Amino acid sequence: MTFARVLSTEFLKLRRSKVTWGSLAGLSMGPLGIALFMWIVREPGRAAQLGLLGTKADLSGISATWPSFLSMMTLIVGVGGLLLLAFIVAYVFGREYAEGTAKNMLALPVGREWFVVAKLVVAAVWWLILVVAVLVEALVIGLALGLPGFSAGLAASAVGNALLAAGIAYLLVPVVAWITILGRGYMPPLAFAIATLGLGDLFTHTGWAPWFPYSIVPLLIGMVGKPVASLPLGSLVVLALTFAAGVTAAILQVRHADNTQ
Amino acid sequence: MTTAADTTVISTRALTKRYRDVLAVDGLGLDVRRGEVYGFLGRNGAGKTTTIRMLLGLIRPTSGEVSVLGQRIGPGETGVFGRVGFLVESASAYPNLTVRENLEIQRRLTGAPASAVAGVIEQLRLSEYADRRAGRLSLGNKQRLSLARAILHKPDVLVLDEPANALDPAGIVEIRDLLRTLADERGVTVFMSSHILAEVAHLADRIGIINDGRLLEELDREELQAKARAYVEVRVPGDPARAEVLLRDAGFAHMERDPDEPGTLRIPESADRVAEIARVLVGAGLELTGLTQSHEDLETYFLRLTGGVR
Repeated sequence: MTFARVLSTEFLKLRRSKVTWGSLAGLSMGPLGIALFMWIVREPGRAAQLGLLGTKADLSGISATWPSFLSMMTLIVGVGGLLLLAFIVAYVFGREYAEGTAKNMLALPVGREWFVVAKLVVAAVWWLILVVAVLVEALVIGLALGLPGFSAGLAASAVGNALLAAGIAYLLVPVVAWITILGRGYMPPLAFAIATLGLGDLFTHTGWAPWFPYSIVPLLIGMVGKPVASLPLGSLVVLALTFAAGVTAAILQVRHADNTQ
Repeated sequence: MTTAADTTVISTRALTKRYRDVLAVDGLGLDVRRGEVYGFLGRNGAGKTTTIRMLLGLIRPTSGEVSVLGQRIGPGETGVFGRVGFLVESASAYPNLTVRENLEIQRRLTGAPASAVAGVIEQLRLSEYADRRAGRLSLGNKQRLSLARAILHKPDVLVLDEPANALDPAGIVEIRDLLRTLADERGVTVFMSSHILAEVAHLADRIGIINDGRLLEELDREELQAKARAYVEVRVPGDPARAEVLLRDAGFAHMERDPDEPGTLRIPESADRVAEIARVLVGAGLELTGLTQSHEDLETYFLRLTGGVR
């Protein structure tokens, strides 16, 4: 009952928020970008005439087909998960400090931990809506482009992979929430998200990639090399531990740390 | 029989907060009784807000303890806060939400009835702005919104940090009346901090003066008025030394020379002997160019207590 009340206020806080629409606009640019890419690959001559294709551009290995289109779509959801989802979490938690309202949440007849959980639920719902909207958009654009090689099985597999990448990315964000509370603002979590994206990419070149949480999404979506077919059990354990550690740290921080805002 | 323990609503014992090498609050002991308005007075940086944060569990004391409504405040304490309303430091609200929506959040979190929002909007004269986004409110109206948030759930205790901030003079009087009414008619205990002595002196039943984290003095309103000493000031530019001797002979034991005006004498606790002072000085043939009966300004008293103008 208490949690339902807290959750309802967290959704109310998003009303008229420009960031919700901004995030949708940001992620939805992805499929449009892929569509442009596909068109350039299909029509290199016209693209060159329009100045869209540089003389040194190397488009070898990319074809204007459904498999290529869908793998790029998964890439966008995966990278979006590592960056945009971190931005969303940084906003949901960080706005309380930026807008000076954090102190108002801490002396209420409601356990502080419920705010952390409710905000993570809001971020999950927000992220799920974004991912579904962008996947639908991508499929519609792909159909409109009339790309060859479509099959329902291929599309279902790609959508499943994208959702899995989105879900795994979500397991990493409680740590971002903790850093936001610790740093009391937007900048520390954003810096952290950008740094871990870079580190995750770096670790995919090593043998440790399945054990480093921020490399698991890049492995899965094929950010470097081919996407892996399945994740080892160890990766799932690492992800579960990262999620649990993030949630615990965020709750302990909000319960015990001094709030001098 | 009612004991002091029964009526104590806010209590601190040896409350101390240290930030690295800064001792923000130093061994503070306070007892605030049910239904009283307690003015917590101090200069900027005296330790008022740090104390308020500890009362609300926003920061943890380095040592000592706090209890509110008999409940010791510590990490994770929630039960008592359904009966506490508060405003800490600056007014704040979600800028993308309207006044009504901001209050609706507080209503849901405190479990107040649905009618509470409309009621408090009217009480704080925010009806005109009820559907305006908080981000577009003036500072004064934002302060009203924060006060509305504090009283929305009809708390038994109000902890208010500088409640008159950003309010215009009419707004200050209005909020003062509101707090007085809540204390007198509903028995609400109000703990309010301020750095403006006049504001506290008008409203508080009891005043605690804090400086450098320590409670310097605690006194009720009557005592404060008494502390603001009455005195008579005479101007005898021709021979102030002789005037001093004459007045001393006449039984006026204490006198102060004004260092800025050497011809002026200040005679404390003598407001009822003005005529006698005049008679002594004029009778001795001294030229008396001024005689005024005054009270020491409360601000002067406060400054004297807290170490003068810095």
